[in-house]
Amino acid sequence: MVKAFPGVLALDGASLEIKSGEIHGLVGENGAGKSTIIKVLAGVYQADSGSIEVFGEPLKPITPATVHRAGIRFIHQELHLVPHFSVTESVFMGQEISSPAGLSKGQMRRRAESVLKDKLGRSISGRKLVRDLTTAERKLIQIARALIDDEVRIVVFDEPTAPLASGEVVALMSAIERLKNSGITIVYISHYLDEITDICERVTVFRQGQSVAVFDTVTKATGSDLVTAMIGREIASVYPDSNRNPHGTGLNVKSLGDGKSFQNVSFEVGRGEIFGIAGLIGSGREELVDALYGVNKIRYGTIEKDSKPIKISSPAIAVANGIVLVPRDRRQDGLVLPMNILENISLSVLKQISSYGFLNRKRERQVAEQQTAKIDIRPSNPKTVTRFLSGGNQQKVVLARWLANDANIFILDEPTVGVDVGARVEIYQLIADLAANGASIIVSSSDPAELIGLCDRVATMTRGVLSGVRITETLTVDRLVALTTGATQEPANVT
Amino acid sequence: MNAQVLHKRSFIANVLIRFGFVLVIFALFVFFAAWNPLFLQAENLTNIVEASAILMILALAMTLIIATGGIDLSIGIALDFGAAAAVVAMKSYDMAWPGAVCAGIIAGSVVGIFNAILVVGLRISPFLATLSTFFIGSSVQRIFTNGGGPISHRRMPDEFRQIAQGDTLGIPNEVLVALLLILVYLIVLEWSVWGRQVHAMGMQRSAAIVAGIKTNRNLIIAFIFASATCAVAGLIAAANIRMFTPLSGFSYLLDAIAATFIGAALHPRGRPNVLGTVVAVLFLTMVANGLNLMGINFNTKDALSGIILISALALAVAQRKASEAMLLGSRRR
Amino acid sequence: MSLETLSRRSSTSLSAAIGAIPLILFVGLLIYFGLNAPNFLTVTNLKLVLVQSLPVMLICIGLSAVVMAGGDDVVSGGIDLSIPATTVLCAGIMASLLSAESTGLFVASIVALLAALLVGGMNALLVTRLSMTPLLTTLAMFVAVVGVNNVVTQRKRINVDHDAINAIREPFFFGIPLGLILVALITLIAFHFLHRTKWGLNLQAAGGSRDAASISGLNVNRLFGQSFTVASVMGFVCSYFVLARGAGSSPGVEDNLMVEMVLATFLGAAFSPRRVVTMWGAALGAVLVVAISVGFKSMGVNVFWTGLIKGSLIVVVVATAALSQRLN
Repeated sequence: MVKAFPGVLALDGASLEIKSGEIHGLVGENGAGKSTIIKVLAGVYQADSGSIEVFGEPLKPITPATVHRAGIRFIHQELHLVPHFSVTESVFMGQEISSPAGLSKGQMRRRAESVLKDKLGRSISGRKLVRDLTTAERKLIQIARALIDDEVRIVVFDEPTAPLASGEVVALMSAIERLKNSGITIVYISHYLDEITDICERVTVFRQGQSVAVFDTVTKATGSDLVTAMIGREIASVYPDSNRNPHGTGLNVKSLGDGKSFQNVSFEVGRGEIFGIAGLIGSGREELVDALYGVNKIRYGTIEKDSKPIKISSPAIAVANGIVLVPRDRRQDGLVLPMNILENISLSVLKQISSYGFLNRKRERQVAEQQTAKIDIRPSNPKTVTRFLSGGNQQKVVLARWLANDANIFILDEPTVGVDVGARVEIYQLIADLAANGASIIVSSSDPAELIGLCDRVATMTRGVLSGVRITETLTVDRLVALTTGATQEPANVT
Repeated sequence: MNAQVLHKRSFIANVLIRFGFVLVIFALFVFFAAWNPLFLQAENLTNIVEASAILMILALAMTLIIATGGIDLSIGIALDFGAAAAVVAMKSYDMAWPGAVCAGIIAGSVVGIFNAILVVGLRISPFLATLSTFFIGSSVQRIFTNGGGPISHRRMPDEFRQIAQGDTLGIPNEVLVALLLILVYLIVLEWSVWGRQVHAMGMQRSAAIVAGIKTNRNLIIAFIFASATCAVAGLIAAANIRMFTPLSGFSYLLDAIAATFIGAALHPRGRPNVLGTVVAVLFLTMVANGLNLMGINFNTKDALSGIILISALALAVAQRKASEAMLLGSRRR
Repeated sequence: MSLETLSRRSSTSLSAAIGAIPLILFVGLLIYFGLNAPNFLTVTNLKLVLVQSLPVMLICIGLSAVVMAGGDDVVSGGIDLSIPATTVLCAGIMASLLSAESTGLFVASIVALLAALLVGGMNALLVTRLSMTPLLTTLAMFVAVVGVNNVVTQRKRINVDHDAINAIREPFFFGIPLGLILVALITLIAFHFLHRTKWGLNLQAAGGSRDAASISGLNVNRLFGQSFTVASVMGFVCSYFVLARGAGSSPGVEDNLMVEMVLATFLGAAFSPRRVVTMWGAALGAVLVVAISVGFKSMGVNVFWTGLIKGSLIVVVVATAALSQRLN
């Protein structure tokens, strides 16, 4: 049994109790505190208050080393493998068996292969290289690494199926079942509610840093209760009114495909419309967004803007055509972090604020100040380096950059990930204002409530196919979650 | 920990961190002046400036390439090519001096075009690409000169010699050329739209791409512009000694890289920048000159300047790291 | 089998084919030499190639350790350009100490080894503590160390006529020079430590993926620092062979050593089955680079062309590696 009562900022008196030998699910929206409690548990974050007991014994202090000694292992969301290492070497990384004569390669290989076969039910040669494995096999290697010593008692899985295809998910599920049957306790974190209801015996729901509900029996039917417990907030108060008047066609995408991640995607976005795309990680949603902006290569299909076909082969071309992107990874792709607010905003309008190729610093400052004032970026000093801003303010800087430009098609990828509620409301209002001024807006998000609250229409994407476009008024969060997670299959009533 | 304590403790640290390097420059300056009074004489100070011209020009080119996020090990080759083409144009083809200047700059640009093909076209990392260019360029010079003998041109047109040896209004022409190029680089890298784009892509390539910057195009322009600049240094070198000495550009490479990095560390936000590079070049030339005047053995001087170089680099990097950490620390509170 | 896996397979095999181009090119060149330069494939000549490649091979082993621990991105990853400078410094120190009659080889060796460790330690310190880029640090260190060596030797040739060092180039066993046997032994020992021990594997993990290594509880910075020490020790060992080859210490050896070291080590990656820098690959690369130089020489190609050939080889090797990675 594990108990935790940490009181860090992201967690507010959350507690978690796991019975030995069970598969315990952990669900919640982004930022609900799931990953924080896991990091506290792993000894990565220090809790301000609270304690952890493992099988009745208090764990103190909580450091990665003591947690490891207590027999708790973590399967992180990222794969963290060396591509050119062999299966054996990867499984034993950091815990190699060696004798004075050197590494016991044969012994390690047999052990690695037997763990993979007996505990996870998959025969993989220990000699194969990681880079030649499928993603599912790599995930198994990562799991095998946690099981390689016999001390392991509890395994925590953080979003293990995120990168997997549907067939691979089934195989992973059976591997986890197998583990459970060998007496190992499992904590299972996932956004995919169908997985949770399939595999877990009990589920704890997190919301805003608290554990809000514990389900002691889980069946398929529990799915909708889980969604209710996860959302549990007033949607109307966060989102702006939607008395918009979409008209005409801003962007028309016809049977687009990249030959890998998405196929035959078609949709239209009107002027003044906010169009949402829902879909889990790995559904092809991210790749579609990248393709619309010229980051990802398009194999077939056409994109028309204002009824004229355009070829978007690079972001520069997209921007020149008035199509702009607010990327999902704002620290990597959105902002030049070492630059200040001023420089980041002016990056899109360098031509406009220059004369004869010379930067006009005064005009640059004016533009930036205009924007920071309009959308309330704090601190308001435009010379603040963006690396030091909060997530919400960073996102506002990215938006401000494109507002300064004359763009009329905005692609917003996960616009509010890592953004606090206050800034969230402001960003939603900004988006609504943009649409009211006639811009076409595409919002790609993994937050169903956000899509329903913000958008006029939402399309769902599953396994590379854009499966249906629905008017948000006909949707509820539960139904959208069910549609994207595959908890229900209903025919797409395209509107 | 409360903010007050932190603030008090950091005042002296703050001064040291901000101005540590400047203090070192000043200390060395005083040291050289104390050791040999000749050091402070106007003539010697002019010497320092004049001797720094070629390194200055090469360091400017290096600053541009490092600002794009790359590195250029072939700047010496561009210098050699520039010098060779100009000398050969005048000697073998009887070209007038403007023609020779053009020939030199075009020959230097070829090096940049080659680099651009390797880096942008074949996606080889700038280090390995320009290393290859360095090998190939060195070999071409050996083949061309039949083993590396200099090509001398005693009857070089006077106008061409003036590039390095003449004065205008009492200022040596090579210094004027260097000053002009400093101005050009200030415009190109610090004051223009293009320079802003270059800085952005050098700091975070992926964000620059998403912001709609044509990074490949900018990279190609940067490589060609930098090598053309180096060719100008080649013209000065050729005019100075009235000959082309193969493989002479290599000796400036490390100083140019070091000057850029020291200059970047002097920038409040750690960016490669023209003024920082200028200060660093003057610092390096001052050290060389000061060590000369100390009258120490040629070899010892070499060793000392090597050690000063690596210490300067370490100091500069440590200074930037400390100031970044301090900034972060004060933000967190 | 899904379509996706199939297309993955075919692009993998295409990328493997492109990755093999450098190897094919080299083998082709060697065959060409064998056919056109009658002396090339004789035992004497091949022995000459091997003996000539010994110094490069030793420092390549050192460099491969640094690249393994720091990753193979030349600019941000692991590289140590200062190894050849360490070698000439050690050679210079030993030569000048030995030429002063009073000092024996043992004392000279100790002094040289200490100097080498100092260089390696400084590299490690600057790179891991100040997080300076290894490329810049070791390049600057190269210049500083060469400068120090110029003070030690006053840029003069110093003859060394010491029995133990002469023995390195003398035949020892069935006409095989002692040096060759020693390098074979050192290579085996280095191979054991770098590829057959826990430490060696951890070193490779650190370079392969910093995140993976630290999540597995490895101290990445310490491993990286240790690799610089290993490199400086190999630089020290190499100095005996440089002394033996030139019968003393002579100025200007370092430039050529550096060029051949970098070329051979990264070329070696193309020959390793996993397409990464390995000790074997680096050692083999050293032999091949020397073989190509000797081959062109015996074909009567002017030495002025060597730089051109080496530069083009780097381009081919690196460009094909980049291309095959992009396709994979």
